[in-house]
Amino acid sequence: MNNAIEVDNLTKYYDKFLAVDHINFTVMQGEIFGFLGPNGAGKTTTQRMLTTLLEPTSGQILINRHDLVRDAYPAKRVMGLVPEESNVYAELTAWDNLIFTAQLYRVPAGQRAARARELLETFGLWEKRAVKVEAFSKGMRRRLSIAMAIIHQPALLFLDEPVPGLDAQSARAIREMIRQLNAAGTTVFLTTHDIEEANQLCDRVAIINHGKIAAIDTPERLKAAFRRVQSVEVALEPEGGADKATLSEFAGVTQVIKAGDKWRLYTEDPSSLVPKIVHFAEEKGLRVTHLNTLGPSLEDVFLEITGQAIGTVHHEDDEQKMRRGKMGGRK
Amino acid sequence: MNEITRWQRLKDELAQVWTIAVKDIRVYYLQPPMIMFGLILPFFLFFSFSIKRNIGAEAGIAQLLAMTTFFTASSAGPVIIPLERRLGTYDRLLAAPMSLATLLIGQTLVGAFFGFVASVVPLLVGVLWLHVAIADVALLFAGLLLASLAFSAFGLVFGSIPVQSVGSIMMPSTLIRWPLLFISGIFIPLGEMAPWARALSYLSPLTYAQDLINIAVSGTGYLNPWFDLGLLLALVAVFLFPAARLHHRSRILGY
Repeated sequence: MNNAIEVDNLTKYYDKFLAVDHINFTVMQGEIFGFLGPNGAGKTTTQRMLTTLLEPTSGQILINRHDLVRDAYPAKRVMGLVPEESNVYAELTAWDNLIFTAQLYRVPAGQRAARARELLETFGLWEKRAVKVEAFSKGMRRRLSIAMAIIHQPALLFLDEPVPGLDAQSARAIREMIRQLNAAGTTVFLTTHDIEEANQLCDRVAIINHGKIAAIDTPERLKAAFRRVQSVEVALEPEGGADKATLSEFAGVTQVIKAGDKWRLYTEDPSSLVPKIVHFAEEKGLRVTHLNTLGPSLEDVFLEITGQAIGTVHHEDDEQKMRRGKMGGRK
Repeated sequence: MNEITRWQRLKDELAQVWTIAVKDIRVYYLQPPMIMFGLILPFFLFFSFSIKRNIGAEAGIAQLLAMTTFFTASSAGPVIIPLERRLGTYDRLLAAPMSLATLLIGQTLVGAFFGFVASVVPLLVGVLWLHVAIADVALLFAGLLLASLAFSAFGLVFGSIPVQSVGSIMMPSTLIRWPLLFISGIFIPLGEMAPWARALSYLSPLTYAQDLINIAVSGTGYLNPWFDLGLLLALVAVFLFPAARLHHRSRILGY
């Protein structure tokens, strides 16, 4: 099977700041490829380079074997892009937005209306086709934005954080739509910071942080790393009633770190650790003021995969944070 | 996907120019900055500089036509591009299968359309209210058309500066556009300028439009009308180059 995307040593500097650091990966035709990382990890910068919106500092990108730097035109013809913010024209109706995009992507004139109608019906927007988009909800705009990205039936679809901020029904509908598109042969490049979303949708997942790819694997195999960095967060009163050594002795706890006035106990099995903590508190006469189970954070997953100790998160200085926020995310 | 021929691609890109222009005209024709800078401002300027100055109706209408075309056409780029960048809709255009030249020509047509249509207002005022007799109607329309295109491409240079807010572009745009009013033979005819001032006026695109409109409206000008027409046409291409360079810079910076 041919590769839909081949990335070789892709690098992006913003002035002296390294946003994407010599990354390599391939996406096979027909797969849903998840690009997973915390905010500011370099996901959007990478996706903007893959979609020709941002010029790489160095490295090569091939889309269906076409070199994006040398001639982007053949690649652009087969791509669809759904950015994080729904980029629809609020002053136009849903119908006009779709027809405009169809014209822009040179969908044959005889097919434009039929495709626009089909997509509006599929996305539940047919009744609102003559309404200006400024009156649409966030979910409706998102659906329209996706419809606009696929009206030319792209072989490769880029989706940047398609679900966050939507109601549960819209989110479910969009996930289902992604599956259907993929089943029909569309390769999907999905950028997300949601581990569960990547787990549900993707055939393979790349984990990126601080501009570097830590791992590329199936969600199932990455789950082991995800499981190891689940945790239980607890606050006990009086505060000195428990120490790190005592809490580390609980069965299944791999690491204990202090986070403010709380303890965070890392374990593969949070549900069986919770009653043990409650029992311990009762025995010692301590009061549990806070108890919470935490899913894996991407920072922790990244540290786990790269063999670094959890709790040693690399903290960017303020200037770096600002630059990532400003340049990488372009919010 | 099938390979397409160069001829097919050319046809596609011409259609995309038209698609972009029509979309922008529909979306932006009532944007407040377009109305403010394009239609209202030239009238204020005209009355500010002409009241109690004994200028003829022909000269006054020629001034007003040049200023209206200049401000309206050159306002489109600095308003539309940063606005679309901020809303993310510009990414849709940049990611579409077309060259940057197609996008820039489409954007130029938008400003030119607004400039040309806005010039109808002072023209009607002149012909219907002040009973100005236009000396050469064909030359006037050709002049307004080419001036609109040149001024729109001029505005596109400012619109291409890598920022995401209209406000950030307004300062350089205003700093450069306003002084041009005073060196372009609008308020002081080219023939009455000191040689050094006239030499300076040749640097302004507005000079050639004003001269051409003077010739078309009143029959008298300073330069050859064919030279004016040719130069305005050449300026369209000249201004597209820095606009393209600034777009490339935006792609590097990530705007």
